[in-house]
Amino acid sequence: MRKSLMNLITTTLVGASVVFSMGTTTALAETLAITGGTVHTLGKKGTLTNATILIEDGKIRAIGQNIRIPAGAEVIDARGRIVVPGSMHSGSRLGLSEISLTEDSNEHSAKKSPFTAAFDVRRGLKSNSIVIPDNRRQGLTHAITQPSGSDGIFSGSGAVISLTGTADMIYGKGPMIANPSKAGNRNIAWAKMRLIFDQVKYYDRNRSAIQQGKGPGDFLLTTYNMAALVPVLKGKQKLVVLVDSEDDIRQAIALKKDYDLDLIISGAVEAWRVAAELVAAKVPVIINPQANLPGSFGQVAATFRNAALLEEAGVEFAISPGGMAANHNAFMVNQMAGLAVAHGLDWSRALEAITLSPARIFGIDNSFGSLEKGKIANIVLWDGDPLEVTSNVSHVIVRGVNHPLVSRRTMLRDRYLDLNKKPYAYH
Amino acid sequence: MLRLEKIIAAATFAGLAATALMGPALAAEKATKDRLPLVVIDKNPYPSTYQAFPSVTTVITNATVLDGAGEQLDGASILMENGKIVAVGTELEIPYGTLVIDGSGKWVTPGIIDVHSHLGVYASPGHKSLSDGNEATKPVTADVWAEHSIWPQDPGFSRAIAGGVTSLQILPGSANLIGGRGITVKNVPSRTRQGMKFPGAPYGLKMACGENPKRVYGKKGGPSTRMANMAGYRKAWIKARDYKDKWDSYTRKYKAGEDVAAPSQDLELDTLMGVLNGEILIHNHCYRADEMVSMMTMAHEFNYTISTFHHAVESYKIADILAKENVCSAMWSDWWGFKLEAFDGVDENIPMVAKAGACAIVHSDDPNGIQRLNQEAAKAWADGRKVGLDFTKAEAFTWLTLNAAKALGIDDQTGSLEAGKMADVVIWSGDPFSVYSLAEKVFIDGALLYDREDPGTHWQSDFELGHNLKGAHQ
Repeated sequence: MRKSLMNLITTTLVGASVVFSMGTTTALAETLAITGGTVHTLGKKGTLTNATILIEDGKIRAIGQNIRIPAGAEVIDARGRIVVPGSMHSGSRLGLSEISLTEDSNEHSAKKSPFTAAFDVRRGLKSNSIVIPDNRRQGLTHAITQPSGSDGIFSGSGAVISLTGTADMIYGKGPMIANPSKAGNRNIAWAKMRLIFDQVKYYDRNRSAIQQGKGPGDFLLTTYNMAALVPVLKGKQKLVVLVDSEDDIRQAIALKKDYDLDLIISGAVEAWRVAAELVAAKVPVIINPQANLPGSFGQVAATFRNAALLEEAGVEFAISPGGMAANHNAFMVNQMAGLAVAHGLDWSRALEAITLSPARIFGIDNSFGSLEKGKIANIVLWDGDPLEVTSNVSHVIVRGVNHPLVSRRTMLRDRYLDLNKKPYAYH
Repeated sequence: MLRLEKIIAAATFAGLAATALMGPALAAEKATKDRLPLVVIDKNPYPSTYQAFPSVTTVITNATVLDGAGEQLDGASILMENGKIVAVGTELEIPYGTLVIDGSGKWVTPGIIDVHSHLGVYASPGHKSLSDGNEATKPVTADVWAEHSIWPQDPGFSRAIAGGVTSLQILPGSANLIGGRGITVKNVPSRTRQGMKFPGAPYGLKMACGENPKRVYGKKGGPSTRMANMAGYRKAWIKARDYKDKWDSYTRKYKAGEDVAAPSQDLELDTLMGVLNGEILIHNHCYRADEMVSMMTMAHEFNYTISTFHHAVESYKIADILAKENVCSAMWSDWWGFKLEAFDGVDENIPMVAKAGACAIVHSDDPNGIQRLNQEAAKAWADGRKVGLDFTKAEAFTWLTLNAAKALGIDDQTGSLEAGKMADVVIWSGDPFSVYSLAEKVFIDGALLYDREDPGTHWQSDFELGHNLKGAHQ
């Protein structure tokens, strides 16, 4: 059993496909059909049994029963499998950090640079990151990847990526990130953000005069950092504000109202305390269901039931863990969704919170988040309940490409699975 | 295992008269007429004052039992009386008046033991004023004891019991080559540190390989390299060996009737001598295979044993050697990549180590992770199966229980459901290898310390009072 499996992995996968998938070339999406699975579409078709998904050119061309499969299509037999949209991480560092504590593989921070709002992660993304295929093989297919911080409140813009591991993995620009805790205290933070927004509006109205040196010289941000905030104030770029306490959440809601922002709150440990206000202001939140400790005075009302209580109140939310689970362990979104279920969240809502909800929250649900005709084919096949810790992924399709479940870590495992085989480095 | 308490009790009781003369840290045997008393170092000056909470004779019936030692019993009952497990099986005699808990549909296991926690020493909230885990002022601080940093009001303890954790080792951090003593505690609410101390548990000594000491001391006088790390440990052991020789020689000569003066006491060397004497167990933060092997070779050089490598993300590369050396590995299921020495972590580390016959343990090192160690074991179990490393769930549960107890030297008291052991028991809502299962009832020494359905049993630390409603965190 063990030997044959190893041989299979070594010969078919390591030999042929890994180099391909880990390289920077674009993998060609061919016609693919997934047949016979139980499909949670997350769309209008609901859950389908014995369904077929037809994929062409990286997109879902058809889904349902009685779908004709073109000759020459690669067919994946999904009988006995659970088929779901690929999981999404809503605040990752994917492609921006190979190893956290090293000097030369971290591109996520604008610290010690003149950039705050003008920082944009898209130029520093590493397409052949070791971290991407490892998350992909565990069911994560796309993500927001975002800056970790700057020397100011605004950290810069993130990106929407598919976990192709190729140079064209960027789907588009992501949200602007704001971290008020960088300001010193909460009074400073909210006053500063308002003042900056006022100045950006002034700057936008008087741009040419200011560029000719005719404007006031005491802006809080440099002109290029202000320019980066113009789309936020025009409602064209979403703003993610990282706050936890109920009071900060209220301040963020007030900011949205006063500046007509397209606001998302991330962290939101105490969101359940202000659930009604979030619903009224139509503000979605991104939460980490394992946060049940008073890590700071802004998190004293932390509870495992945050997700269930938000659901009950009708708040739109997505589930994404932070810390290490924002990069190397970003795939843990599924376990975290399961954890929320254990603490009262409905199972289908939990699945939605790592698929369709984040796509909706970030405004990319026309392409991601559900298995519907026309959407990008980011699809995962599981051998069991996708939120269960003992379930394993059997197939991962990203933008229509069926990727082998191989990463540097599985190659290391295979190298040492049989310690009687020596020398190890020649496996 | 060594019973520190008994040794110390004898020493301190007899030594009262000499205390004033010799200083409070020293005790002595009764002086004879014309000789100074024999000086004996008090090995347990801060003894456990833990007392089991009140319990009633309880039987859990008709449950799926994982005994923590590798066996599964279906439809089994477990009887607890006077804080101890009396019997486990399918046909038990139940004494009159026993509280019966219907375990139908439930799973029962020993309490989870986390061999690597910083609860209390890096407490919540995570403020500098509660940051008491790393004495990062010099690379060898064998003199510090984690128990003297523990804040029993850390809200993390109450979260951990809701995850089924009944005992844990609280360790100093890994900034230092030799970071100080760790302490094993029962996960109970207590006003005092000593009130939590696991009675009779040996001390641990935290050591750290690799990047952390290099990073902390690289620009503060060293070590700045792995070779200097090794030099640092070895210098410390050489001093410890000399110190032990002095005390052994003194004691031997005194007992032979010679008129000898006692060496002066050194807190740092007391701890290291405790390791050389086999009384204190080495818990060694170490990621890389090559470093672990160097550490084991050094243990042979100085004739001591290593209990456990912690984190041990590369144990799978040397699982056969670890088995031969009888050293445990305490591991995460899937953490990797946060530093270069963690870059080679694989999801199958735990089952690969276990398959080689080495002692495998799932640990947390994290106030969130400690709340779901069962899930972490489940992930490792499933990842192993995927590549043909098959274990039963009962076998995999030893990674959380008996193996952890062995690593801490408390396996004769807890870690499995066996008659005579402490009744540290968890009733799970279902299969603990599921993300959806929760610990419903947790017994420590037979006392019901946590009942998910009864808010009256949910602890709330002093810090949390007025901040949140009781039990609202779960």
